Amino acid sequence: MIRHDVVVVGAGCAGMRAAIEAKRAGVDVAVVSKLHPTRSHSGAAEGGINAALGNATEDSPETHTFDTVKGSDYLGDQDAIEVMCREAPGDIYELEHMGAIFSRSADGRLAQRPFGAAGAPRTVYSADITGHVLIHVLYEQLVKHDVKVYEEFHCTRLVVDGGRCAGVLAWDLVRGGIVPIEAKHVILATGGVGRMYYGTTNAYACTGDGMSLAWRAGVPLKDMEFMQFHPTTLKANGVLITEGCRGEGGYLRNKDGDRFMAVDAPNAMELASRDVVSRAEWKEIADGRGVDGCVLLDLTHLGPKKIKTRLPGSRELALDYAGVDPINEPIPVRPGAHYHMGGVDVDVWGESIVPGLWAAGEAACVSVHGANRLGGNSLMETITFGRRAGHATGQRVRDEGDVGARIEAAVVADEQRRIEALLRADDGERPAVIREELAKTMYDKAGVFRTERVLSECRETVHELRGRARTLRLEDRGRVFNSDLVSALELEAMLECADCLVTGALARQESRGAHSRLDFTARDDDHWMRHTLAWCDRGEVRLDYKPVTITKYQPLVRTY
Amino acid sequence: MEPANAHLTTLKGAYDHELMEVTVRVRRYAGQGASAETRAYTVEVPTTATLLDCLDAIRDHHDGTLAYRKSCRMAVCGSCGMRMDGGAVLACKTAMRPFVDAGHVVTVAPMGNLPVIRDLVVDMEPFWAKIRAVKPYLDTGGEAAPEKEWLVTPQQSQTLSKEALCIMCGCCVSECNSMESDPDFLGPAALAKAYRFVGDVRDGDARNRLRELSGEHGIWDCTRCYFCNQRCPKGVDPRDAIAKLGAEAFRERFERDPGAKHAKVFVNSTHKGGYLRETELVPKTLGPVAAITQIPFALQLARAGKVPNPLAPHKAKDNAEVKRLWKLLEAEASHDRDRAERPSSNGTEG
Repeated sequence: MIRHDVVVVGAGCAGMRAAIEAKRAGVDVAVVSKLHPTRSHSGAAEGGINAALGNATEDSPETHTFDTVKGSDYLGDQDAIEVMCREAPGDIYELEHMGAIFSRSADGRLAQRPFGAAGAPRTVYSADITGHVLIHVLYEQLVKHDVKVYEEFHCTRLVVDGGRCAGVLAWDLVRGGIVPIEAKHVILATGGVGRMYYGTTNAYACTGDGMSLAWRAGVPLKDMEFMQFHPTTLKANGVLITEGCRGEGGYLRNKDGDRFMAVDAPNAMELASRDVVSRAEWKEIADGRGVDGCVLLDLTHLGPKKIKTRLPGSRELALDYAGVDPINEPIPVRPGAHYHMGGVDVDVWGESIVPGLWAAGEAACVSVHGANRLGGNSLMETITFGRRAGHATGQRVRDEGDVGARIEAAVVADEQRRIEALLRADDGERPAVIREELAKTMYDKAGVFRTERVLSECRETVHELRGRARTLRLEDRGRVFNSDLVSALELEAMLECADCLVTGALARQESRGAHSRLDFTARDDDHWMRHTLAWCDRGEVRLDYKPVTITKYQPLVRTY
Repeated sequence: MEPANAHLTTLKGAYDHELMEVTVRVRRYAGQGASAETRAYTVEVPTTATLLDCLDAIRDHHDGTLAYRKSCRMAVCGSCGMRMDGGAVLACKTAMRPFVDAGHVVTVAPMGNLPVIRDLVVDMEPFWAKIRAVKPYLDTGGEAAPEKEWLVTPQQSQTLSKEALCIMCGCCVSECNSMESDPDFLGPAALAKAYRFVGDVRDGDARNRLRELSGEHGIWDCTRCYFCNQRCPKGVDPRDAIAKLGAEAFRERFERDPGAKHAKVFVNSTHKGGYLRETELVPKTLGPVAAITQIPFALQLARAGKVPNPLAPHKAKDNAEVKRLWKLLEAEASHDRDRAERPSSNGTEG
């Protein structure tokens, strides 16, 4: 039996940062990931990472905290936000010392750019490939620290033994077969679930695997109804065009050439919070003022030099996937599912209610983003809370010694039977058919604007799809690199996450951050300034709530 | 109560895409001793579709047994390197419309120079082993980190602007000629990664790195075919990185490898007379003793008329122009050296 002190599931920024820290604490740590670490979706993050360094103008962790609390529409836990904003500068300097290649100002310090809803230029960046730079520097450190990685291992189950997490069972994608991996602590860092939406910036791998694993293991998922739609994504394939384009001065225009943000955010204009901009765009398009189902992101006035030096990646993406050179013409964009504020309910160290089970990054909900995340805060979250989870599990291992959690042979045999049955199944539908129906249903009925009626229809469809997905037809019955099997496992995870999302959304009769109800347009702090908890009750979603932590910022009306 | 603006919930026309029919021939291989075959598939996809979109359409709706890697579909994760019509591409960065318009049916196969696991999936472990072999992380040489960031000017940071783009997809390795004849050659990706540290002003271990890289299977084993530059989907230009490593290695006087000596003869000979003195090439690269063993080969070449007259003066007509070019190159090199100074710390004040 393979055994480690700490097993990190997922190898994006949060997972790798956690593993590095646990290793530094002197414990035996391994990473289990369905992708090679540098293939993880953190690498697609473009615009930057927020820390109040004050390199560009005066700034402070307190201002960063306030901006984040306000951006969260007062659903973020203020103690958690304070932790992140206080520790962010140190974490950034450490990334720089590791070797991260950040953009610099003329005096050699880290450059900082303005981002949406931020009171100062606070976003540290590397042109528009910040996530790429971070994922590679963290992988370099993983190699340096000689952390064991189980690459292309898909976790199919968390094992809970005597009330505590005892490890994971994973399908070895290259060789085939279920591999049990015992651990005293498991950190889930599996990222988000954007793939449940048709229009999404997320990679194919973002299928909510970790959230589903935790949910089935008895941990509630928190605030799942809050899915952030990014305002600037390409129609052809949902690819993200960074907020940095607007940070550098880009305009949003409708088909008449008007900068329509003047209506909903006359002060912040294009740099209002993402939920605000996405709603404004969605209205323009739905009311017939769009261009081919999009609005226009206009960078032409920035000039070729600025576009080529600050936004070269965005230009490349626009050329490749929209056939447009932003130096000469505007890029057609529309809102797409981008970042899931919800996730595994954990505290400020990443610990869940099941002993030995932790989460960090997008898979987790601490919650620092509340109802709406600010651009640049998610990379920061992965680093700060990844590090904290790694540190805390390392300490715990040293304090507690052997906690006696074991993976029983019967549990392994049970999972082997489940997977073998799935491999043999041939009387149902293809996973892709159900996945495509789910993605369109979610984009149409649990999108930027919601009502009781569309959400009810959406929930009904999701339930029906969950039923249909119980029998799937796989065409690939082999054991070597069977991606048909993986697509079935991923579909199951997405359907469960979708059920949690839509059930939470239907219940929440208010509008807050990314959850915008046309039938309940106001924020209702008396009834709804609380976190939704979605529990797994014999496979069904059961809702429950818990209070938001407030330290010093009382809720205010949120305008930009 | 349904609100008056309920129409806002759903975007009309969200799924409207113009469609086209694409045929793709795919190399299929079930793994472990099975025989490979090429199968053609025809799919209907949007006109904006990439090669990856076509493979997805095949797997989702025609043949669920097709194996390939993918993730980001935006040319940043490096998963979907494969060969199309004999050359490496990222499937997600390859638009299919031009091929359809030209009436050409593409053939896809796994990347070269790496063992095939199944269909389009190769074993990347040999690739990563070479990345690990170049000590792929910053080593400040024992210098303590400042309280805040190292100070690095935009110009200093600019020296890494290309190497920093590498997504480790393996397209360069797939097409590497040297690796084909010497599987132990470090190869373009690992060498570009090595330059990413050698060229980093924060790194304090450049000399040791260059010593290692100057040995067998290193910098000088590159045949300069430039296929890596040509096939890199991100503009990393690995061959340029290898050239920069060579220049750095010379500066550090790591010149003992025959490859280094070979390059040196080129440089000195052209510096002197504007032309390469080919008769000097072998003795100066291999040394006089080893050069004697090459005499039969030289005679063979002479018989084929491939040896220039060794007594000719070998001086270029426009030698003055060559000298001017040399001056330009030297000025550029000294400019590069100015940029590559150690950074200072920013520990005192924010």
